[in-house]
Amino acid sequence: MIPAVLRKNLLSLYVLCAFLFLYIPIFVLVVYSFNQGEFPLQWQGFSLHWYHELFSLVEIWRAFQTSFIVGLSASILSLCLSMILLYGAKKFPYPVLSLFYVNILIPDIVLAVGLLSLFAFFWVPLGLVALIIGHTVLGLGFAIPILRARFDEMDDFLIEASYDLGASETYTFFYIVIPFMYPALFAAALLVMIVSFDDFLVSFFCAGSSTQTLSLYVFSMIRAGVSPTVNALSTIMLFISSVLVFVISWFNISGLEKKS
Amino acid sequence: MSAIKKLFLSEKYYFLVLPALSWQVLFFLIPLLFVGLMACFEHTSEQLFAYPTLENFRLVCTAPHFAIIFRSLWLAMSTALFALFAAYPIAYFLAFKVDRFRFFLLFLLAIPFLVNILVQVYAWFFVLDKQGMLSQAFMFIGLSKQPINFLDTLFGVRVVMLHIYLPFLVMPIFTALEKIDYRLVEASLDLGASFFATFTRVLMPLSMPGIKNGFFLVLVTSFGEYIIPILLGGNKVFFVGTIISEYFFIGKDWGKGTAFICISCLVLVIAVLIWNFIFNAVTMRSKRFVS
Repeated sequence: MIPAVLRKNLLSLYVLCAFLFLYIPIFVLVVYSFNQGEFPLQWQGFSLHWYHELFSLVEIWRAFQTSFIVGLSASILSLCLSMILLYGAKKFPYPVLSLFYVNILIPDIVLAVGLLSLFAFFWVPLGLVALIIGHTVLGLGFAIPILRARFDEMDDFLIEASYDLGASETYTFFYIVIPFMYPALFAAALLVMIVSFDDFLVSFFCAGSSTQTLSLYVFSMIRAGVSPTVNALSTIMLFISSVLVFVISWFNISGLEKKS
Repeated sequence: MSAIKKLFLSEKYYFLVLPALSWQVLFFLIPLLFVGLMACFEHTSEQLFAYPTLENFRLVCTAPHFAIIFRSLWLAMSTALFALFAAYPIAYFLAFKVDRFRFFLLFLLAIPFLVNILVQVYAWFFVLDKQGMLSQAFMFIGLSKQPINFLDTLFGVRVVMLHIYLPFLVMPIFTALEKIDYRLVEASLDLGASFFATFTRVLMPLSMPGIKNGFFLVLVTSFGEYIIPILLGGNKVFFVGTIISEYFFIGKDWGKGTAFICISCLVLVIAVLIWNFIFNAVTMRSKRFVS
């Protein structure tokens, strides 16, 4: 028989194991990024040597720059498109919003192949523009559900009250609607940025031969073999993602608290 | 009343739907249509659409291609099912059993959700390698004498797939469970139902939307998985994702590639419909004795 104490905590124990399963590989990765030795599977003492090495690579900065431009453009574009769409869809007779939920529900590779053939047919050069277009399609699938949830909470009387009290429509938009949407806008912008940075397949098909995003660069590094420099890069990416996740969830929670 | 104000208050500002809708049609629906169209055309080096033909489909409808499709489908289905069983207790724990650390645990779950998948796959290199942790653990317990290489094996692919897709299932189930009043569970237990009966008659039907969402999300996205098989599967086994990119980048045979996409998507849709039927049947069955 299983002891009573163990049986009572069986579920907690299981959850603990699941989290260990999720985190042990990542932990090992981070630890080895501080390893002194070249051969990554033996611990030879603490050093920041590989970080130093990483920051002296020029290609990485170029790849980061490309990813940043693409991510920023994609998130601005998808936010603007989503906000305009939400205004229009409010009384639109057909459920137009659900059309966008499919974007993240199809295998990425199908979308990537489709975009590649579209660009090839219309002679659109692969590269930055193609990447921004593809990532905006992905971003819309993430931004619209988040923004919609917040937009549906907004009371129409709020807008009408603002008009009744003599506010202009621009004033109402920027001082009533936007502040109300602010937590959702912020979370959606960050999320689209993260999705764009993380995306591999659309970038793989649409980047062409001359452009390289951060994901593509990491992929080529991993294919070249295990090296502590990749560990250092991965650790930095991990750190940035965690900070962003924390900021997003903190924003959502403070938004919820304000509401209640 | 100025123009913009009229727009907001009247019901005739439908045209605001247009920018996003045209973006969606132009860069999402038309590309998908293109995939279907290209499969039905013969391509030459000058022209993307030379003349219509069904030759591509004939060339792709062979036993090895179907073997790849069903191997991918099997991998996707087993990943989704296994992750479902692994995720449900975690979601249950997060929804009902923990209060103070819930935010922290959800935060821990959200990180693998949003960290670059390449980073996570790379992290597994250190566990699955011949001198990695898993092989050392096997030797320590005494399951094997020599170090085992788990890299480039199907086992490694499976484990990493589970690792990547587990959070995708925990989140929707958690949101579904969170909405359930826990007193329903307590009432069911008080009235003499066993835990198993409570689960099948109360919890499972109520959380079915979350289960379905998560399951189908994992099934569909893992079907076209590219990174995990290419980095961890070695070059021995092909999956749908790897063979498509092979057609596009190495073979430069876009016609066959798109025809293959069409056929594999058809198989996927059929699989989704069958699973949807199964889930509905299970829900109906558990509801039958209640009323």
